[in-house]
Amino acid sequence: MSGRRFSGAALAFALAAVQGCAVVPQNRRVRLADPMMNLNDEPLDAYRRQKLYDAREGAAGGDGNVSGGGCGCQ
Amino acid sequence: MRTPLWAAALALVAASSLARADGAAPDPALGDTQILGPSIPRLQIEWMAFRVTAYNQYGSGYQSKSGPILGPGSERLTVFEPQAEIVATQGDRLTHRIWVPIDVLSAASPNSIPKIADVVSGASRHNVGGTLQWSTAYKVDPTTQLSTTTGLHIEEPFRSWNGGIGASRALADQNTVIAGSVAGVFDWFDHFLTNGARTGRTERSSTLGSVGITQVISPGTVANINYGLTVQEGELGNTWNAVPLVTGVRGPEILPSQRVRHALVGRLAQFLPWNGALRLYYRFYGDDWGIVAHSAEGQLMQRLTPTLYVGGIYRFHTQTGPPFFTTRAQDSGELRVADSDLAPLDSHTFGGKVVGDVPGAGLARSLHYEFEYDRYVRTNDLRIDIVTCSVGLRF
Repeated sequence: MSGRRFSGAALAFALAAVQGCAVVPQNRRVRLADPMMNLNDEPLDAYRRQKLYDAREGAAGGDGNVSGGGCGCQ
Repeated sequence: MRTPLWAAALALVAASSLARADGAAPDPALGDTQILGPSIPRLQIEWMAFRVTAYNQYGSGYQSKSGPILGPGSERLTVFEPQAEIVATQGDRLTHRIWVPIDVLSAASPNSIPKIADVVSGASRHNVGGTLQWSTAYKVDPTTQLSTTTGLHIEEPFRSWNGGIGASRALADQNTVIAGSVAGVFDWFDHFLTNGARTGRTERSSTLGSVGITQVISPGTVANINYGLTVQEGELGNTWNAVPLVTGVRGPEILPSQRVRHALVGRLAQFLPWNGALRLYYRFYGDDWGIVAHSAEGQLMQRLTPTLYVGGIYRFHTQTGPPFFTTRAQDSGELRVADSDLAPLDSHTFGGKVVGDVPGAGLARSLHYEFEYDRYVRTNDLRIDIVTCSVGLRF
């Protein structure tokens, strides 16, 4: 399956990229603490987005997060 | 009289000296815990939040029975969705999160057909569903965390239970975090014919797993990559969706009883020199029904003051449909589905938000607020206006 090969290649690339990262000391991470820099949305906001897409796009979900439930969702 | 008083005073002094002598060499191991007993970690509320979201949806789809038999029916829908969340710590190691989302749907597609065929209830055009989710995280040491989650969803013809466990470990002075989780979901719901007749109960189960790695790349850059697998078995439709048939009538969907789904997600957040941030998201999806999808999203944030920032959002999604998607099926036992959500489609989401904090708000350390408007447009005739606002208190 091409999707599986793609996933494997992307994961291998990510792991290889991580190997090349230098350690950033904690006292230089103040910018990363800014809420604007959160990689994930605030949980209640993330839920309503996930619900919006899960219920309207058949290709939503599958991310390993608990989702779905009711409303005729997949 | 004078002698007994003198003797009593001497006795008291002697007794007090003895007491001091006993306490002069305290056991060095004796602490508060030995004297008072072990303390019970108290629950302390750290965060409370309330969010309200309203959806106003217009459009049509061939699975809907609210229209001509062989044409698309209405997917008109409004949703009012309040949510509440409480995060509390219990001692230094335990953090609990309790979260209750509620969905109030009106004019939902399954309810919009004539009353006799209303698959949800005679009440029609109104449906309420709610979830109670409880997650607990346990900090084993400064770099390792274990977590559990369990939840219950209740809706008119639907009951769902989920439970899961997860773990994460930070490496390299917390520059790298590796996380993984597994979860199970069991859904138990009413089975209907497309004319609305209830035929009993049916169920499906989902097993989910994910692994991910988050990496600090530079003082202003952090990235994450995550792979998720979901295996679903059982009744994978809602049982009431219709498929137009070449014979001029509607038939039920016929779907496989298993679905294996893969999703690979990449996220990146980059701090911008003008006190802004760029967040990028990409997701590749594939499943054994033959659906392949790509989703990309960008969020551009700009801080206006130390306690206020604004953001703009754009998301693009494209997906193929399964080979058995059709809007006019043969009247046979072969797989078929006409659900517009499973059609080949593109979608766009545009939005903007304002996020701020008010320090020292009464009993709380700060008050957090958000306001966001989004417009969702799908190429196969679906449009939604979404307004959401939230208020949170940080203690």
